[in-house]
Amino acid sequence: MSAIDRKLLDEFREILDADGIVSRATELKVYECDGWTVEKRAPDVLLLPRSTAQLSAILAALHRRGVAFVPRGAGTGLSGGCLSLNAPAMICTSRMNRILEIDFDNRRVEAESGVVNLHVTNAVKSKGYFYAPDPSSQVACTIGGNIAENSGGPHTLKYGVTTNHVLALEVVLPDGEVVELGGPAEERCGYDLVGVVVGAEGTAGIVTRATLKLMREPENHRTLLAAFPDADTATRAVSMIIASGIVPAALEMMDQLIIRAVEDAFNVGLPLDAGAVLIIELEGLEAGLTAYADEVAKTANLAGASSVRLARDEAERALLWKARKRAFGAVGRLAPNYATQDGVVPRTCLPRILRVIADVSRRYDLRIGNVFHAGDGNLHPIILYDEREPDQVRRAIDAGREILKACIEMGGSLTGEHGIGVEKIGEMPLMFSPDDLRVMTELRHVFDPMERSNPGKVIPQPGACVEVAAPRRQAPI
Amino acid sequence: MAATTSSNLANRLNSIVGADRVRAPTDTEARAADAIVEPASIEEICEIVRMCEADRIALAPIGAARSLAGIRRSPVALGISMARLARIVAYEPDDMTIVAESGITVGKLNAAMAGARQRLPVDPCGPGMTTLGSLIGAAHSGPLRLSEGASRDLLIGVRFVGHGGNLVHGGGRVVKNVAGYDLMKLMGGAFGTLGIVTEATFKVRPIPSDYSIAVVPYARAADAFAAACILNDALPLSNLDILSPALAPRFNSTSQFLLLAGVSGSPLEIGCQAGRIRDLVGARGEILSADGALRSYELLRDVDFHSAPLAAQIAVPPASLAQVLEACGNDIEFRAHAGSGVAQIILADEPLAEVAAKTVARWREVARSARGSLRLIAAAPAFRDSLEFFDTPNDGALALMRRLKAAFDPAGIFNPGCFVGGI
Ligand SMILES: Cc1cc2nc3c(=O)[nH]c(=O)nc-3n(C[C@H](O)[C@H](O)[C@H](O)COP(=O)(O)OP(=O)(O)OC[C@H]3O[C@@H](n4cnc5c(N)ncnc54)[C@H](O)[C@@H]3O)c2cc1C
Ligand SMILES: Cc1cc2nc3c(=O)[nH]c(=O)nc-3n(C[C@H](O)[C@H](O)[C@H](O)COP(=O)(O)OP(=O)(O)OC[C@H]3O[C@@H](n4cnc5c(N)ncnc54)[C@H](O)[C@@H]3O)c2cc1C
Repeated sequence: MSAIDRKLLDEFREILDADGIVSRATELKVYECDGWTVEKRAPDVLLLPRSTAQLSAILAALHRRGVAFVPRGAGTGLSGGCLSLNAPAMICTSRMNRILEIDFDNRRVEAESGVVNLHVTNAVKSKGYFYAPDPSSQVACTIGGNIAENSGGPHTLKYGVTTNHVLALEVVLPDGEVVELGGPAEERCGYDLVGVVVGAEGTAGIVTRATLKLMREPENHRTLLAAFPDADTATRAVSMIIASGIVPAALEMMDQLIIRAVEDAFNVGLPLDAGAVLIIELEGLEAGLTAYADEVAKTANLAGASSVRLARDEAERALLWKARKRAFGAVGRLAPNYATQDGVVPRTCLPRILRVIADVSRRYDLRIGNVFHAGDGNLHPIILYDEREPDQVRRAIDAGREILKACIEMGGSLTGEHGIGVEKIGEMPLMFSPDDLRVMTELRHVFDPMERSNPGKVIPQPGACVEVAAPRRQAPI
Repeated sequence: MAATTSSNLANRLNSIVGADRVRAPTDTEARAADAIVEPASIEEICEIVRMCEADRIALAPIGAARSLAGIRRSPVALGISMARLARIVAYEPDDMTIVAESGITVGKLNAAMAGARQRLPVDPCGPGMTTLGSLIGAAHSGPLRLSEGASRDLLIGVRFVGHGGNLVHGGGRVVKNVAGYDLMKLMGGAFGTLGIVTEATFKVRPIPSDYSIAVVPYARAADAFAAACILNDALPLSNLDILSPALAPRFNSTSQFLLLAGVSGSPLEIGCQAGRIRDLVGARGEILSADGALRSYELLRDVDFHSAPLAAQIAVPPASLAQVLEACGNDIEFRAHAGSGVAQIILADEPLAEVAAKTVARWREVARSARGSLRLIAAAPAFRDSLEFFDTPNDGALALMRRLKAAFDPAGIFNPGCFVGGI
């Protein structure tokens, strides 16, 4: 039944060591999903190349047979991006994990795509540099996955997302051809193909190497924790801080459900009686920071904060960030399953969308927590459910969809950083017209004319998009 | 024959937009297009594109047509001016985003945001003359790129009329958005070869409360670059530029290399940075503040390269910029964005045609061996036709670019024949 027959496996054996080929069902089970656990399907074979040459040879072999494949980094994606959908072969970059060159003079790093995000910063921080995109999953997720999803993080507010930090890519196209895009300089001649591959969710071939920009550590920072009686007041404070002309490096919000979960798990001393808290980080020259921190505290109080606390030292700051970055994990203790949405609204619509989420939670009788990048208007409603209850699964999916629709009605987006994957593919027509989607398909075909690289992701098939209202591809429960 | 065709074209345009909006080109525009049409609605643009596709009439979207006049060897039949599509569509200061039609200039856009103390921090030369369409199309940037990024980093949504006269959009109005492919990146630096941008959405930033600029003279370029390197390592500068002696006198009577380092923020931050700059570069030079600083910054931003007989923009990894400029020869003048590795270089005197060709070849080789690139900004009519304006990308990348062009412009009408590799 499989397109991966014995002959093809023999070809792989010529390219890879035996331990680079996984084809036993029990071992493949680990690869049946990413962080989007609603749908699961294992690939027929998992391939683990160690070099661009091996990866290119694999894709060429698959190309000759017309077999589709799915790229995979660490599998931390939250939208089913590396779900094996009509793609018998999965190609994982975890063994391509070398940092190839660190060039402090030019503030550049060249790394293979399987390098873990945090390892880049770890390799350069002793000299006072860092790699800016800092997804909360940065201890595990790979540079290749970040590039595919155009990932962000808490510090996106100041530094932007992955696409703002990638200068050059080596990409293996679906037919096995290796191409170099961009270069180590800030400008290039010709179309910005690097900018297209970043965010293409693995549908433009497999990224094998990237040249990334490094940033200089700021001289110092101030991290504030402001507590509010309710989420409404907290979001009002967000608008007021931005309106004051101060752009914090990060401006993150957690609501009561999350605060309690995080406290239970990590005991960081968050105020349990608060309806919501903001973590506000300012950075820059020491000379200006105290005044900015005072002004932000004043603004938060004016907006109705019940308390504002300044992290006294690096340890306290680290604790606050641990609470924030591990919030998803903490929520895992509250319910057997959760689905995280990733809608975005214009900052000024935050109070409205949070009211919508509260209302959805009541109507669908599901607990929903909020922990998100408030400064960017990028929500992460976490919908708690139990996958053993089919009705709950359905309600969770519908509740998520209703929230996303509301985001779009407010002029926002389906996804700020987690990608479309399979999860939101049915909602794409809410944001894009048939003409938009046709042009995006044309763009995809420039790289992947046969749609063999991560098929079934990002762009819905024409005609398939009519059924938005009906529960889409149902969860295998 | 040509006359009939063009009067025929005029008639058909008249039926789409009305006679008062088809006009003869100005002098600059004449090198870019034979006739100019000024559509007043998206529907008109769509109609025009469909008409041009049907009859294989080459067109180009134009702003001031300065860049276009340089890169085109022969004019296209029709220049599409966006002058009548120049409204601000939506501006909500607390969202820090602005949506505007592509015919508005950066200057006008910024004037509209000044009341809220915000700006689009992309600073091409002459913002009052640079439309958003050209800003995106030619990827113009300026000194602030060091601290604020280029238009590439700030463009979050785009609408354009593509092949078939279809209006297409990518991105949106929110600052974070990864839904669908990043069509904004495609339009950036595409020089109008993939479609006509009608509307753009940008992230905007607060205007810093204060700005000061250190202006420090050096007898040798190498010393100016060494100082720039030290400053860039120590301080979060707004801009960091070096001007060669012939470009420097507007700031300063000495004919030396000038280092211009801008700092912004609160008075406390400015004071601290100014002190550190003095510590790092010694007591030489001066630090201007308030209006004096802004005037100097504007002079720096508006250095004119388009009217030089030969001008180019070179981009290399920043640490090699000093050496690269030295290798370009001692007959050049330059403005170097020292922190970003981008510089504009000119030959002050008009060279002979064969000298121009050799010069450009030498510059290109220097850029290439530093793993960078070079694109021409301007070339005098005497030798313009003998020069390639763009570097040719590597074979693999170029093949993808050709496929992209074929997919987005199957009739080959969008500013054809003057982009990389003859695209
Ligand atoms: C607890 C938790 C917190 C998270 N927090 C954040 C956050 O703050 N911000 C954020 O943006 N995301 C966040 N994520 C989502 C996820 O971590 C990111 O999307 C991350 O970039 C995925 O990287 P990965 O290596 O795990 O990729 P995978 O999950 O393996 O793959 C993701 C997608 O990229 C493709 N892909 C992977 N490698 C390549 C390659 N080399 N070439 C081409 N395509 C490739 C895959 O096909 C798939 O479509 C979080 C996830 C978790 C579980
Ligand atoms: C009177 C005047 C004086 C000037 N003085 C100076 C000076 O002193 N110094 C100096 O350096 N410069 C000067 N300039 C040039 C000016 O500052 C900008 O550099 C220039 O206006 C930028 O536009 P452009 O000429 O590059 O635009 P164009 O050449 O018209 O456009 C650039 C590219 O973008 C494309 N494009 C334009 N609009 C769109 C669109 N809507 N969609 C898609 N693609 C598009 C075009 O096809 C072209 O390929 C002056 C200009 C004028 C008119």
